[in-house]
Amino acid sequence: MRTTLVIGAGLSGLMGALALAEAGLQPLVLAKGQGATHWTAGTVDVWGADERTPRQAIHEIGATHPQHPYALIGAHAVEEAIARFRALTEAARYPYVGGLERNVLLPTAAGALRPVALMPVTMAAGDVRLGGEMLIAGFRELRDFYPPFIAANLAAQGVAARGVYLTVPAAFRRREYTTVILARMFDDPAFRAEIGRQLHTQRGSATRIGLPAILGLRDPLSVVADLQRASGAQVFEIPTLPPSVPGMRLFTILRDAIERFGGRFQIGSEVLRGHGEECRLTAVWSEAAARQQEHRVERLLLATGGIAGGGIRTDHMGIIRETALDLPVRAPANRADWFSPRFLDPAGHAIYTTGVPVDPCLRPISMHGEPVYTNVAIAGATLGGTDTVRERSRSGVSIATGWAAGRILAGNAS
Amino acid sequence: MTIIPADHSEHSLEQSLDHCIKCNICTAACPVSAVTDLFPGPKYVGPQAQRFRHERQPSPDESVDYCSGCRVCNEVCPTGVRIAELNARARARLVAERGIPLRNRLISRSELIGRLGAGPQAPLANAALSFKPLRVIIERTLGIAREAPLPPFSRSTFRSWFRRRRTAQPVATKGQVVYFHGCAANYYEPWIGRAVVAVLEHNGFEVLLPDQRCCGLPLLSNGDFAAARRAHEANIALLAPYALRNIPIVGASTSCTLTLKEEAPELLSMQSNTVRAVARQTYDIFEFLRMLHERGELRTDFRPIERTLPYHPPCQLRAHRIGRPALDVLELVPGLQLIETHASCCGIAGTYGLKVEKYQISMDVGAPLFDMVRRSGSTMALCDSETCRWQISHGAGVTARHPIEILAEAYGLVT
Repeated sequence: MRTTLVIGAGLSGLMGALALAEAGLQPLVLAKGQGATHWTAGTVDVWGADERTPRQAIHEIGATHPQHPYALIGAHAVEEAIARFRALTEAARYPYVGGLERNVLLPTAAGALRPVALMPVTMAAGDVRLGGEMLIAGFRELRDFYPPFIAANLAAQGVAARGVYLTVPAAFRRREYTTVILARMFDDPAFRAEIGRQLHTQRGSATRIGLPAILGLRDPLSVVADLQRASGAQVFEIPTLPPSVPGMRLFTILRDAIERFGGRFQIGSEVLRGHGEECRLTAVWSEAAARQQEHRVERLLLATGGIAGGGIRTDHMGIIRETALDLPVRAPANRADWFSPRFLDPAGHAIYTTGVPVDPCLRPISMHGEPVYTNVAIAGATLGGTDTVRERSRSGVSIATGWAAGRILAGNAS
Repeated sequence: MTIIPADHSEHSLEQSLDHCIKCNICTAACPVSAVTDLFPGPKYVGPQAQRFRHERQPSPDESVDYCSGCRVCNEVCPTGVRIAELNARARARLVAERGIPLRNRLISRSELIGRLGAGPQAPLANAALSFKPLRVIIERTLGIAREAPLPPFSRSTFRSWFRRRRTAQPVATKGQVVYFHGCAANYYEPWIGRAVVAVLEHNGFEVLLPDQRCCGLPLLSNGDFAAARRAHEANIALLAPYALRNIPIVGASTSCTLTLKEEAPELLSMQSNTVRAVARQTYDIFEFLRMLHERGELRTDFRPIERTLPYHPPCQLRAHRIGRPALDVLELVPGLQLIETHASCCGIAGTYGLKVEKYQISMDVGAPLFDMVRRSGSTMALCDSETCRWQISHGAGVTARHPIEILAEAYGLVT
């Protein structure tokens, strides 16, 4: 019987489940649906709010912002989590490169430049500071990825770039194209050989070629290597709109590792409620056909996301709820304070800092600071306390707090 | 307790449309749209096309007929849209407008087919159905693919075995359980029914076998809702007396139990107290055994089985949203290692892969699973659902068994 539970299969839930699985606790990961991994770019942003390096920021943030998730767990725990994440992806032969010493600016599918600390090696040659002319190539059939638009926006920012369209080889033509369908095509050596030839023809004076992040689900490193050999230029991936192929690769790597250590997954099962006695959560119930399924709980990691991910829900009456266990939520006092009048206000919107208040061990507490459940830890966007989108710390916070919460629950936090 | 209004299911189904955020995770996971252009994907055919479906207007598109009903879209949807139900209802609309083809009328009546083929005449029926020229004729006239995996009929039904068995039954100490065997165990694979009975009796239950009808799932998935309603009404009448006395109804066919629990009540809008009582008392066999174990009531006198086997949790089991009960129970057997396949679907989807125009799609859908099973090097795979087992055997060339057979073996029960 599995009594170590993780709710949520996004990056924080998965990192927490990995820590619990490695500790031999055989976690069961319950999730309402496929996790936020499929929505993300697959890069790791740790800090991009100001000119500080990610490392400086995580070490200094406690002084100005003691409730920040990085401050709660401490810089050392953040570094440890990032190191574990890197080791995991390296072992899976899909290494993440970069580090906490500096951010790298990578082009987005809109041709904007986005600071990230770590990226899969398939994206590394996109670093705009490397110089040289870029060729941005894509397919007309793939919606929301327009090479001429991306190239024009890059050029406007001083990055020499040209956008071209490639042709889907006749043998592979389909009526519908999605990122995933195209990624499966790249898994086929015949498809990428033909695309490689087209890139070689189109390359011109470009030294680097940016393609949508669809370069295979199975073995993207080989796809990139083949395309580089054929085209004679460096090849890199640019994250697309969802579903995110790099996010799916990451999910598979984490799931396989968690299962290898004895964990298990149950996707499609939303946790609806919990029951506790004397500050201990004893059971949760998940939605199922005909009747709810009861799960007994020894320890539980809650990583259901924030307002965007569905872990915290607001309604038109101004009521804010944590959806799985009905935990206390820290939020702006008045409905009127949720949003700034300006959509792009640099200070962000207060509602996005909404989260479950926790003690230094990430255990949920009441608004008065009393423990709610001592065998529960909170991770990821459910923590709130800061606007991670504006800060560009979303996946850094997820990886760090997920790992830290898992280690704490397993009783072996450093 | 909150009172659910009679129109709860329709209401929430329509509402669930508004939860679609167009993230396309369902499209990425859909095993059918991955292999064919004939099905554009769950997002388009489900929440998007639904906006154009109206009672008084003709169905806007026919591609919904290529939905296999595997429910993978429901499983992965991060916002809880019930795409598979939308598609099943849309298909029924299409059938209501255009009529149901003879082929679909025939293959959806698994009970009738079972009665015709199983029994002393089985060898003759089996010989006929494995005679290739006849299958070609059947394909040309009826549209049932010549290569499609049809299981051999059994010479005697499970029910006749149950009636005739004379061995002294162990004393029942834990109470009574109704066994809902479904068509497959009765007409094709009686040994699975025998394994279920043996395991339940070994754990101290008296097994009851009331009269029962086909659960009606093939009718639902072929859009024949009127016939499905008759089937479910008949089953409710037969099973409610037990359910209302809190006697669990246990099945080893994951699709039959899902139909009793949810598919029939929801798709047919049957919400009476007796329908709900039957749904609430229905259990997948391993779900039931896992519950016993959680209560400390499952016997664990297992013999070691030193084997590593691939295990495919069928779509219709995953749609119960109860996890992997077969893995939870079988991990108690010393030495036994099960490797979950992570393949989304075997492709057969009940009667889908039997149809000549869908056979190749079903094989392409199943290809990653067949490949995984073959690479495992095992000559046997486990799967809880009968049509999936037949498809796995057909596609991967291995023996496919129900996990309950392995459990019975671990208990040392002769079935």
